Amino acid sequence: MREVYVAGIGITSFSRLEYPLVEIAAYPGLMALRDSGLKKVDHLYVANMGGGRINGQTGLASAVVDHMSLTPAGAETIENGPASGASAIKQGYMAIASGMHDVVMVIGAERMREANPLEATDFVATLTHPQAEYIYGVTLPALAGMFTRLYMEKYGVTARHLAMVAVKNHKNAMDNFYAHLHEDITIEGILDSPEASTNNPYVADPLRFYDVCPVSDGGACLILATAEVMKKINKPMIRLAGIGQATDTHCVHERKDPTELLAVREAARQSFKMAGVKPSDVSVAELHDAFTILEIAESEEVGFFKKGEGHLALERGETQIGGKIPINPSGGLKAKGHPVGATGVGQAHEIVLQLRGEAGKRQVKNAKVGFTCNFGGFGNNVVCLTFIKE
Amino acid sequence: MELNIYAYKCKRCGELHYPYKTICKKCGENDHNEFDIVPLPKKGKLLTFTTLYTLPSDYEVVTLALGIVELENGIRITGQLDIKNPKIGMKVNGKVEVVRKDLYKKHLGMIFYKE
Repeated sequence: MREVYVAGIGITSFSRLEYPLVEIAAYPGLMALRDSGLKKVDHLYVANMGGGRINGQTGLASAVVDHMSLTPAGAETIENGPASGASAIKQGYMAIASGMHDVVMVIGAERMREANPLEATDFVATLTHPQAEYIYGVTLPALAGMFTRLYMEKYGVTARHLAMVAVKNHKNAMDNFYAHLHEDITIEGILDSPEASTNNPYVADPLRFYDVCPVSDGGACLILATAEVMKKINKPMIRLAGIGQATDTHCVHERKDPTELLAVREAARQSFKMAGVKPSDVSVAELHDAFTILEIAESEEVGFFKKGEGHLALERGETQIGGKIPINPSGGLKAKGHPVGATGVGQAHEIVLQLRGEAGKRQVKNAKVGFTCNFGGFGNNVVCLTFIKE
Repeated sequence: MELNIYAYKCKRCGELHYPYKTICKKCGENDHNEFDIVPLPKKGKLLTFTTLYTLPSDYEVVTLALGIVELENGIRITGQLDIKNPKIGMKVNGKVEVVRKDLYKKHLGMIFYKE
């Protein structure tokens, strides 16, 4: 198999974008082409989840490849729920590693805010089991709420710990121009003050408003290429070194211990094994904090901390920029935003910035190994990526 | 007539499944996919729950209580709760009732009450 490198990156703001889905996909593609200095790609993968349902746009990749005047390059749309982004990167990796293509563009794009919030929530809820979960009104926040209650009961995680994740990620997002939320929140404001119950109402008890990611539009792009192409373009050598993917039961109630995220554990293990590194080698990570509890749970499942101790490491400040293992320097899904199909590519974009040393004020010093966890459904389809700076 | 939610019992190894699967998760044999339909018990204990304040479009109520219940035979089910102050571990009793209405259809599912 051939080695695969990141030749170029691009991103849009994650917020409410008032232009068509095809352009949300095309602009980061254009930025990535300029960043890499390349003019042509052999193939395009576009990750998207809601185009058909929300935007009335099916066959997104075909529309994007034409919009960018990259025809006759091959193009495919990849849908794997909220893990679509990392799944598309995986397809790009396989296309290059196998020898089939030399330069592949991977885009993630989503325009969810075209729908009203009720429709957007219902759209994401269609990820749940149609007969055993969805019909009851189960949504992703509902599953996360039930998960959080169990986690609190079992490991002593409190509302304060959850708020600490939110405050940390909002603080990081203040230095990220492309982040959805530029709000420097405090524990006082969202938990302790008399206004807290108005500022921060329950969404799915015990989860509150500031425990849940925003509904975002946004796009991101990575151009992947062979070592040979990299020699010609003079960009930092960031290698996509490890990929892992695993699945779990569709219904959360079918899991032996519903506080365990076995797919995260397995996908991370595979990704580290393939890259030949250990969790302790990771210098910076982007974890899928669609809900604050998930950053804590995933930081344990991927192996940064022991099970049940993630919230203690958070208390000690180990996950801040400057800590032992900075998590979500971009602001994470919590504050950078969560355009579902684009999120996995957005996470990889941040890791490449960090490894190149181009992350500005939120730069993690001496970042050599970067890791992303892209979490589909409620943990039923997870893709983890490991990047290494050479 | 009493309404039920059904589990699927593998005809080869007896493993119970809820919801339905095409291949038994225990014996994994794919040379047959035959299951007996077995009504799920109604009694169980509450494993976890949440009150949802942002509801999908089909609901006309303000909040919705949801939970996961471990039934007497060990099978778990997600359902709605009609219980004031629910607590983890409490005993509950289910009834099959309308849990969602959309434009065309009423959907039946389990609603749990305090035993």
